[in-house]
Amino acid sequence: MTNITVLNSQDHRTLRVQPGASPRYGDDKRFVAVIVGEFPFVAVHYPILLTKDAQTGGFLVGAMLGFDEDENLFLDEKGMESYRPLNLQRGPFFTAGSDLAIDVDHPRIGGGELLFTEAGEPAPYLRRMMSLFRDLVPGSDTTRAFIEIIIRLKLVEPIDITASFDDGGKRTLTDLYTINQEALRALPDAAAIDLFRKGYLQLIYLMIGSLKQIPVLAQKKNRRLLAATASLGA
Amino acid sequence: MHPVRNVVIVGGGTAGWLTAGVIAARHQGRIKAGTFSVTLIESPNVPIIGVGEGTWPTLRTTLEKMGVSETDLFRHCDAAFKQGAKFARWTTGAADDAYYHPLMLPQGFTQVNLAPHWLAGGKDQSFCDAVTPQGVLCDDGLAPKMITTPEYQAVANYAYHLDAGKFAPFLQKHCTAKLGVCHIQADVQTVNQLENGDIKSVTTQQAGEIAGDLFVDCTGFRSLLLGQALGVPFKDCNDVLFCDTALAMQVPYDTPDAPMASHTISTAHAAGWTWDIGLPTRRGTGYVYSSRHVSDEQAEETLRSYVGPAVRGLTPRKISIRSGHRETFWKNNCVAIGLAAGFLEPLESSAIVLIELSAKLIAEQMPANREVMDIIAARFNDVNHYRWGRIIDFLKLHYVLTQRPEKFWQDNLDPASVPARLQNLLHLWKYQPPWFFDEFDRIEEVFPAASYQYVLYGMGFRTEVAAAENEGTRSQAAGFLSEAMNLTRKLRAQLPRNRDLVKKIHDYGLQPI
Repeated sequence: MTNITVLNSQDHRTLRVQPGASPRYGDDKRFVAVIVGEFPFVAVHYPILLTKDAQTGGFLVGAMLGFDEDENLFLDEKGMESYRPLNLQRGPFFTAGSDLAIDVDHPRIGGGELLFTEAGEPAPYLRRMMSLFRDLVPGSDTTRAFIEIIIRLKLVEPIDITASFDDGGKRTLTDLYTINQEALRALPDAAAIDLFRKGYLQLIYLMIGSLKQIPVLAQKKNRRLLAATASLGA
Repeated sequence: MHPVRNVVIVGGGTAGWLTAGVIAARHQGRIKAGTFSVTLIESPNVPIIGVGEGTWPTLRTTLEKMGVSETDLFRHCDAAFKQGAKFARWTTGAADDAYYHPLMLPQGFTQVNLAPHWLAGGKDQSFCDAVTPQGVLCDDGLAPKMITTPEYQAVANYAYHLDAGKFAPFLQKHCTAKLGVCHIQADVQTVNQLENGDIKSVTTQQAGEIAGDLFVDCTGFRSLLLGQALGVPFKDCNDVLFCDTALAMQVPYDTPDAPMASHTISTAHAAGWTWDIGLPTRRGTGYVYSSRHVSDEQAEETLRSYVGPAVRGLTPRKISIRSGHRETFWKNNCVAIGLAAGFLEPLESSAIVLIELSAKLIAEQMPANREVMDIIAARFNDVNHYRWGRIIDFLKLHYVLTQRPEKFWQDNLDPASVPARLQNLLHLWKYQPPWFFDEFDRIEEVFPAASYQYVLYGMGFRTEVAAAENEGTRSQAAGFLSEAMNLTRKLRAQLPRNRDLVKKIHDYGLQPI
């Protein structure tokens, strides 16, 4: 359960938060939403795809980290092996209007970094979180605007990802979407220039380029499966 | 050669605006190039009838092709999902007497006929529940899709319930703003004809004379052009379908989040039946009956007792129904659509689907010039005679399998009131269940053989089936029957409540993909 409350230096003076990435803290996510500012960092490691929010049906853009529910192929007990998206770094923090809020029942609570100094000033970890939210909040608005435009221009199409693994298993993911490259090429000049001027064309090409990470992701999963089988055999 | 460039539709309402939208969407290229026009003349003084609140799944394709957003339809027309109809008390009249006519076909319908297998089996399940999940979804009050399902796509096949009074203005806005339909608000005073009978123009009170190459009569029961100006007679069907009056009443919900049925509830009474349609903000109800069998006062009493305590303070609106259609639908350069073409009765919501199919045929087959128009007109008339005939048969089917004792129902069993074609089929179906070879094979058949199966076996009709005859398709049928069971289990777990989804569509909208 979650128990979200506005953060303040009185009530939360002695609260400690585990900052690291771990499956124990709920970082084992198959898909994590990212903001457009993260695209260059994300695209070199993970496929950037769209999916729909199960509650609202609205589109989210994010990094695909695994094939199965609760599978993050880049996470182990030591943490994330490559770029850690802001939404995985934010831990138990949320925004409530212009305030920072915290889920005091989050598994990260207890042990780890103090949020406040003895004087009641934000400690370095909390300052990092505050800075993270200064990127994340406006970044989420820009990202929403970007998604709206590519949907309106009919540049989004479903992508069915099917992967077969050496243990005989097979996965078919049907809830993901990517850029329709044919529709992109068919855009009228004015729309293409508008995308370019807004900086969106570059984002679109990062999304297209990141599709090359899908087979890399499949190989990674395959190696894990084989390692698991091998250890079972031994 | 006299090219057909200007289509003039007389009459707004659902028929007029749907026709305008379908034709204009199909001919956008020519409209934008300025070589073709669609004009709709609507009287500012004649109110639209607007009781048609049930539709067929065809409306999804029709609206999508017009470029209408499904989210907008839900938000502006008080629309909700319809997954079929539940027929209560039609067979015996007992409290537990009910069956579904769902919109999903039986599982594997195009590959194997499940009816004989169900008939030969133990029948521990109703036919509907054995072959499709949809009856169970309706019982559970579930929606036919999810918030993540794109606009117009279905998880379970669906149509809409909607507020007809809001639907026509909604279409009007779309047609004029997006499709280039010219809207003229004026009263038609005279219809000006050439010597050969063709309509040259109409003279209006407010906008002068308006000429056209093809006129579409959407003037409702009056049939101002085809009926009055061209003198095409009306063919009564009241010897087959007895209902001639309806009392309609809009009933509020007890609470705004009260459960909302995702199917039409049709309940049989002494001299007809009531409809009950769940819209998000209210229920639309009404009693359709034969005035030869019951007085208006008694009918109102029946409707009031059906609606229950919510009826206090409500007054029903009376609508006369003249069951029948024009003898010809397209004559000279004039074609009638909607009530101007005819109306049977509200059972099975055939009115709007007929509008769509007619408009589509005209749009697809738009004659290039007056010289070839008669060929298209003959084709249109042939198709429409077939459609009206099959709809009359299918509606009558609901009345001829009853065991109810009241005079209205017993009169319906009189063979003199049953069309010969239907009598033949009923005879045949005693020995073989309906499927593809029963002539329901037109490209745009309004009611496919599956619909006949749902009604026949829902009402306990017996077809003699020899078990040995099923041998060849037994394993295939077993596969589809178990597929239907698995699908039922899966969809029950997956689909949201009907009202919850409609609310989410209002809050968040559906995605276009």
